[in-house]
Amino acid sequence: MKKLMLVLSMLTLMATTTVMAGTAEAPTKVKMKIKAKSKKGVVKAKIAITHNMLTYDQAKRKGKEANFITHITATVGDKVVYDASTSQFLSKNPLIKFKFHGNKGDMLKITYTQLKGEVFYGEKKIK
Amino acid sequence: MKKTILSLVAITAMTVGLNATDYRATNAATWTAHTVPTAIEALYGKITPAEGKIKLKAPKVASSGGTIPVSIKTDIPAKSVAIFQDANPEATVVVFTVVEGSPADFGFKIKMKESGTITAIIEGKDGKFYSATYSLEVTKGGCEG
Repeated sequence: MKKLMLVLSMLTLMATTTVMAGTAEAPTKVKMKIKAKSKKGVVKAKIAITHNMLTYDQAKRKGKEANFITHITATVGDKVVYDASTSQFLSKNPLIKFKFHGNKGDMLKITYTQLKGEVFYGEKKIK
Repeated sequence: MKKTILSLVAITAMTVGLNATDYRATNAATWTAHTVPTAIEALYGKITPAEGKIKLKAPKVASSGGTIPVSIKTDIPAKSVAIFQDANPEATVVVFTVVEGSPADFGFKIKMKESGTITAIIEGKDGKFYSATYSLEVTKGGCEG
């Protein structure tokens, strides 16, 4: 009987999580300065994300809520080419540079998550 | 009960992304650690990093502590690269997952409240760790906002 309950609760949890994941807030598209140039199959990417990156200290002083980017991922199709877990200590309007194997014409997508979990993205074709 | 929690954690981990690692979820303590050694331990455990061929660059004197350009590059086959500093209330700045096919070559800008030392730890694919440090002067603190 106990095992059955366990299995049932597991299944319910799995179902709920899947539904939750499915109805998770859709990422919002935002303007981002993306420069991605491919040379001999290697892409040099330079991205400037507009974000206050308000630290806990700064927020306290300003009487606002801290808000900063906690995760940045770059993808080409469904392939992850860059992945960073970030903190309040990246500068305001963080600028990031990285390299990966990619080709001209591919679409580079930059997705970031902020402290409260909201997700934003920007994309641009690799030149 | 334990099994249910484990499966829930597994599902959440999968939802985050199969290739990506969310170090905020897997190593929450590293982001609140105040000192560099505690932050490193929270992320990688008790490690003894060796000096490695790592190019960690930043300006020797940063006139604006709010935006300090840092670059890190290494040919060591790496799994992850973590950046810490000892000038801010918390030590961990950013943790990169080195993705298959992409070099460990990153540029980014950070904030530092005052002059201090940046520490980079490379988690090698060989299971070993390598470190590099860079000390710099900050003339105008960067957490004033």
